[in-house]
Amino acid sequence: MHSEQIVGVEHHHDSDSTDVFGFWLYIMSDCILFACLFATYIVLNLPGSPGPDLKNFIDLSDVLIETFFLLFSNFTFGLAMLNVYQHRIRKTQAWLLISFLLGMSFIIYELKEFIHLAGEGFRWDYSAKASSFFTLVGTHGLHVSCGLVWIILMMIQLSLVKDESILKRRMTYLGLFWNFLDIVWIFVFTIVYLMGAL
Amino acid sequence: MRDDVNQPDYGTGKKKLSIYVIGFSLCIILTLIAFGSVMENLFSRSQTFIIIYAAACIQFIVQVLCFLRLNTQTEQSKINVMSIIFAGVILIVIIIGSLWIMRNCNYNMM
Amino acid sequence: MFEQLLFGKLSLAAIPFDAPIIMGAAIFMFLAFFIILLIITIYGKWLYIWKEWITSVDHKKIGIMYLILSGVMLLRGFSDVVLMRLQQALAAGSSLGYLPPEHYDQIFTAHGVIMIFFVAMPMMFGLLNIALPLQIGARDVAYPYLNSLSFWLTFVGAMLCNASLVIGDFAKTGWLAYPPLSELYYSPDVGVDYFIWSLQIAGAGTLLAGINFIATIIKMRCKGMSLMRMPIFVWASLCTMILVVSAFPVLTVSLALLFLDRLFGMHFFSEFAGGNAMMYINLIWIWGHPEVYILILPAFGIFSEVVATFSQKKLFGYVTMVYAIAVITFLSFIVWLHHFFTMGAGADVNAFFGIATMVIAIPTGVKVFNWLFTMYEGRIILATPMLWVIAFFTTFAIGGMTGVIMAVPPIDFQVHNSEFLVAHFHNVIIGGVLFGYFAGITYWFPKAFGFRLDENWGRWAFAFWIVGFFFAFMPLYILGLNGFMRRMEHYSNIMFQPYLITAAIGATMILIGIFLQIGQLIVSIKNRHALRDYSGDPWNGRTLEWSVASPAPIYNFSELPVVNERDAFWEKKERHIAEGRIHPKNIHFHPIHLPKNTAAGFIIAMFAGIAGFALIWHMWIPGIIGFCGMLVTIIARTFDTNIEYTISKEEVRKIELAHLKEMINA
Repeated sequence: MHSEQIVGVEHHHDSDSTDVFGFWLYIMSDCILFACLFATYIVLNLPGSPGPDLKNFIDLSDVLIETFFLLFSNFTFGLAMLNVYQHRIRKTQAWLLISFLLGMSFIIYELKEFIHLAGEGFRWDYSAKASSFFTLVGTHGLHVSCGLVWIILMMIQLSLVKDESILKRRMTYLGLFWNFLDIVWIFVFTIVYLMGAL
Repeated sequence: MRDDVNQPDYGTGKKKLSIYVIGFSLCIILTLIAFGSVMENLFSRSQTFIIIYAAACIQFIVQVLCFLRLNTQTEQSKINVMSIIFAGVILIVIIIGSLWIMRNCNYNMM
Repeated sequence: MFEQLLFGKLSLAAIPFDAPIIMGAAIFMFLAFFIILLIITIYGKWLYIWKEWITSVDHKKIGIMYLILSGVMLLRGFSDVVLMRLQQALAAGSSLGYLPPEHYDQIFTAHGVIMIFFVAMPMMFGLLNIALPLQIGARDVAYPYLNSLSFWLTFVGAMLCNASLVIGDFAKTGWLAYPPLSELYYSPDVGVDYFIWSLQIAGAGTLLAGINFIATIIKMRCKGMSLMRMPIFVWASLCTMILVVSAFPVLTVSLALLFLDRLFGMHFFSEFAGGNAMMYINLIWIWGHPEVYILILPAFGIFSEVVATFSQKKLFGYVTMVYAIAVITFLSFIVWLHHFFTMGAGADVNAFFGIATMVIAIPTGVKVFNWLFTMYEGRIILATPMLWVIAFFTTFAIGGMTGVIMAVPPIDFQVHNSEFLVAHFHNVIIGGVLFGYFAGITYWFPKAFGFRLDENWGRWAFAFWIVGFFFAFMPLYILGLNGFMRRMEHYSNIMFQPYLITAAIGATMILIGIFLQIGQLIVSIKNRHALRDYSGDPWNGRTLEWSVASPAPIYNFSELPVVNERDAFWEKKERHIAEGRIHPKNIHFHPIHLPKNTAAGFIIAMFAGIAGFALIWHMWIPGIIGFCGMLVTIIARTFDTNIEYTISKEEVRKIELAHLKEMINA
């Protein structure tokens, strides 16, 4: 790779590694963003904080189902990655579609939960505990929603773009992003839901 | 064709179906352990606390190793690992630091 | 209903027709803007500006645009200074000055925001863009399109801040907008929203630039340039960008939570329902402290370059310099509480952060000694960049020492939020950051533009700046120790007035210094042929950027260099001089691939500006349009496959030979 750089002829593939590294750095900055939201959540949910408790409104079995939706979609995305490396476009799109549907189910469950909570009086403008809950879980949900839009775009681009290295690189970005969202969710369900239910 | 040929080097290890399946299964098990210990009230409060946090941290490591395939084989992957460790340190400083400061302020001022 | 969705809270009443100073400033701004547009139209340069500058992805052009932005905003930030110093010099005892409090509050808030976000940060990114890729032997940064986007986002943030002068108000809360004052109940007008959105947009640009430069430094160094052979400026920039990527998300979150409180009635920082205003202060300073290190570290890097070049001696203690920068980077994350010692934490917390703050002075001291040791037994040339460095030594040392004084919590309890604090941070920011960036600008100006700045005007500007600085800020230390608090629009004890008059005189001297800098620029442009830099190496430099023409050709290096030591260019020159030859130029030509210019960065930023303005004024339809516009442009760009072009061998040969001819005929 380096030798090509010296001779001065830049190839696509040489810059792909740099591009993915940049995306990785963005993911790191997003981790810090979530860290702040977690810190805020924990601080505003210290014992003695006023307002209704989350545990009165949450059904953990729903959260478990949501978790499995996201985890399964993470796995099916991995299968999509394996297929794109073999340049099996149709199979990649199929696994992407499944990941999309699983992710969509996650979002639908989450929205149902939010609407239920708001209806029961656990609204984002009612207490700091509620504000921090909706913001932390909502930001994660917003990231997932953006990921869903991105998956659709990726499915389209898989048919339209012919350059293999571009497709692999973009799938890598999306894969990193999707994986990272599942990792953040691990900590969301632990710190917000499981700790909330204890 | 083995599924780890034809993979460009982006600084992570080769993705393999077998490792994905192992990682996936471990994640399911860890998730069930965490949810189960809370939903079924099997242990005392502090024990449950430790179990769910341990399960979360282990699942984090499983996902990083099996799905993200982070390793230290190539130059680029070493940089990736260093950046995740650095981000992790900052993250911990922010969360623990904020907790310490805010609890201290709450105690002294309220 | 439709009108409400379209115009939100915006109406003609938002323009303060009854405030003469604001109207005067607005008219001045519009006139300046209008005249520039007129000049461009008369000379028929619109296509040129669009093709060569606005859509440029060339780091050298983007760097120049950053510097122009910061220069213009410096004028606005400094007019705030003039207004404030005049007010404080006049408003003693029973006199109330000429500025009502609600106006004065906006001025000091805008002054802080503009100087940090729209003067210092763009100046830093400008210098980074101009010098860094050349120093590492690269053709451009890692992500040229993102580079353009970062600049335009910063530009849009600055324009939103400027818009607040004319349409509506700016925040009256101080540059960090603490709640509960910044919550909707106590700041019901749009000022805090302007604050939030201009910073969010500019902050996004900065975060992207941080990612860009880390990737550039890690991945795009030329062959042979290992990490320990990089110029110290590159090391400083790497650590700075690591700070940027780690700290700016915290700013994003803090401002977002404040926005959620204001727009959706959430309770993060409210006084009841469980909100905790201290959490905002905690979060904003987790960002705020690394931010000041983001500002100073590149200046340290510039000092290392300038000291070595103008002492004609290699930098003393390269390895310890690298370690010092790395230690400072890490430590800057564990000192943030020293900004709010007085706000309720117990002695244990205060003690930890106090000690950590004192520790961070140690690696800084190491660096200062290393610079001094570099100068020792060097053959010093007192060109203008070197003058700024020498001024830095004394000025920054004093500022640093007052910082260590305040790191002791019991002392801080006496001087927190007094003029002592104000004097300290201006001392380190002006003495450290600004002097460093001025040194960098004078040092790299020939590389960017092809001609040197006039030395005489530079020396006079420097003289007025340094003397003006001491007159302006030393009285503030005394005032602070005597109990004079910051941000005071008037005061009853007339014993303070002489100090403030002295400060106003100092500010006037700095103003003259700025005029002299503008004069220097004008005179240098007029005399650019006499000041032309033919060789590309006007200072007998040590690092790679001096091995190419001035200004650098669009592709930077016709052949990417290969290095095998530190200060490789200097060493090569020494050896070739010893061998009786002039300094080397490689003469190999290949076709070179470069990224094409793109309007995408500019367009995305414009839509972001529309969305930001709409969010401020609750104009929901324009907001949706702005947001969708951004999204559509981003997505459309990903479908664009025609993003590169090639410079032919013949073109490269032409450019290189032209430079050689010029050098020989000089």
